[in-house]
Amino acid sequence: MNTYYLANLLIFAGVDIVACLALNLQFGVSGVVNFSFIVFQAAGAYAAAVLSMPPDTAPDYSFQIYVGGYQLPFPLPWVGGAVVGALLALPIGLVVLRRLRADYQAIALLVTSIIANTVINNARPLLNGAAGLAAVPQPLGSVVSDPNSYQYLYIGLTAICVAIVWFIAARIVNSPYGRTLRAMRENELAAGALGKNSTALKMSIFVVGGAIAGLSGAILVGFLQVWAPSTWLYPETIILFAAVIVGGRGNNVGAIVGALLVPVGFEEVTRLLQRMNIGPPNLIPALEWVCIGLLILGFLWFRPRGVVPEQRRVFPGAPAVEEETRWVVGKGAR
Amino acid sequence: MPVSEPMLSARDIHRHFEGMHAVDGVSIEIMPGRITGLIGPNGAGKSTFMAVLAGTLPASSGTIIFQGEDITRLAAYQRARRGMVRTFQLPSEFAQLTVLENLLVAAPDNRGESLLGALLGRRYWMPDETRLVAEARSLLKRFGLLPKESDYAGALSGGQKRLVEIMRALMLRPRLLLLDEPMSGVHPSIVDEIAGYLEQLRDDGLTILMVEHELHIVDRLCDPVIVMAQGKVIGQGSMAALRRQPEVVEAYLVG
Repeated sequence: MNTYYLANLLIFAGVDIVACLALNLQFGVSGVVNFSFIVFQAAGAYAAAVLSMPPDTAPDYSFQIYVGGYQLPFPLPWVGGAVVGALLALPIGLVVLRRLRADYQAIALLVTSIIANTVINNARPLLNGAAGLAAVPQPLGSVVSDPNSYQYLYIGLTAICVAIVWFIAARIVNSPYGRTLRAMRENELAAGALGKNSTALKMSIFVVGGAIAGLSGAILVGFLQVWAPSTWLYPETIILFAAVIVGGRGNNVGAIVGALLVPVGFEEVTRLLQRMNIGPPNLIPALEWVCIGLLILGFLWFRPRGVVPEQRRVFPGAPAVEEETRWVVGKGAR
Repeated sequence: MPVSEPMLSARDIHRHFEGMHAVDGVSIEIMPGRITGLIGPNGAGKSTFMAVLAGTLPASSGTIIFQGEDITRLAAYQRARRGMVRTFQLPSEFAQLTVLENLLVAAPDNRGESLLGALLGRRYWMPDETRLVAEARSLLKRFGLLPKESDYAGALSGGQKRLVEIMRALMLRPRLLLLDEPMSGVHPSIVDEIAGYLEQLRDDGLTILMVEHELHIVDRLCDPVIVMAQGKVIGQGSMAALRRQPEVVEAYLVG
């Protein structure tokens, strides 16, 4: 296996892990069915792109038009991607998460995703429309010029982000705050009757998830160096949902396993199958969607809690539980 | 608060659904330290009225005063924070949380319950958590569910779920408990046990308003009792007195 392919795989895995951890916080832990998740990744990618690119009047960039162009040094574009993801969560969350019931929230978010894509696709002066942005500068590209070493650098940067996001997600999931989010997921009405402000709780996790999604987009765009509406159509969100469902809703480890199995593993397999030229040209990609659907249905039917289910929390000093898996608060799994 | 002051007074409460008057001008006063019963035939508007009191449903009109404060416009969670906590007619446990976690969630004062507190980490919130675990365990012990603390609440029996809901409400240290049919879905052998716990809570000074269908429970626990039919209050007083009122007997038998 050549190193370029391996580097690609590792970076995509990192991006998908970050995204799945964010979606797990929103959907798996809190029960917020964020069908517009990919919009936040896209917002982070666009933000990181225009923060790092020169103005569209610059000689090599005049073939495209976009807002911004601030040529900020790394890591500011990545931070900016996360900030924009969080900021975008505020208006969307305030409109969608306040008055609607959970199932309508999901529909409203799906529609939001489609609207956002259509707008960016057609409003060319904003972010170059359907053609998208190209020649996005590589983070620290001027510092490390050797392509081989640069790959390792990028893998390292991605790994640092994965570690930071893991740290945040673990603190949230294992805290009383995470417990309240899970309670809201289980029964929002009852949580309200116990003094929990579900709108505020949902908004908080919507913003946190939006920031992490934005970061994942920033990592992705710095590596791909291109970003266009066709890369963030709403079905991309469904793939991430499949990952969280397969991996195990509510469990951070499950989110990582899901990211490795579905967006990374599954898509790599279909890519390889496509190279083998089986059947008509669009057969394999079409079958991929059938399989994603079957995967979600199959898991919801036969293993609804996923490959790595949410752990039961057993507190120190509790009477013995007859279960093979245990979770001791303050100590982790044992 | 002097004993003569009502804990809660609801004045001329209306609640309409698309032209149907589920609650049609109800005024009641709940006196502290008592278990007030709310009875009436199916469709009398009892549960709707409870939901309006708790803020789960907004009132179409009327005023609700709780401990001297007008809470009519407050959301359910704000009323709960002021000490008025409800349970639901259908089991509403957090199924995929353990019994102990169900109780811990309800505690209002855990530093780790905010996003910032969570990010600051275990050392920041562990003292609160330890204190609340002890508090929750003493409740579990009192209600005989300590051996079940690590079970998923969804796996409990109907009666045990009721107890979890009541304990969960108690974790908020409420002044007024609104119980919506606490005995429904409970095995008859446990009904008396739950009734015993409610008596204990009353003797500890807790005020309770409960909707209940089982008249022998109402007889045992509730004084006074309020009777509703077709969205209106048609009588109140002790059970013995109510049994002598023909319109109450008729509404219950006909309804």
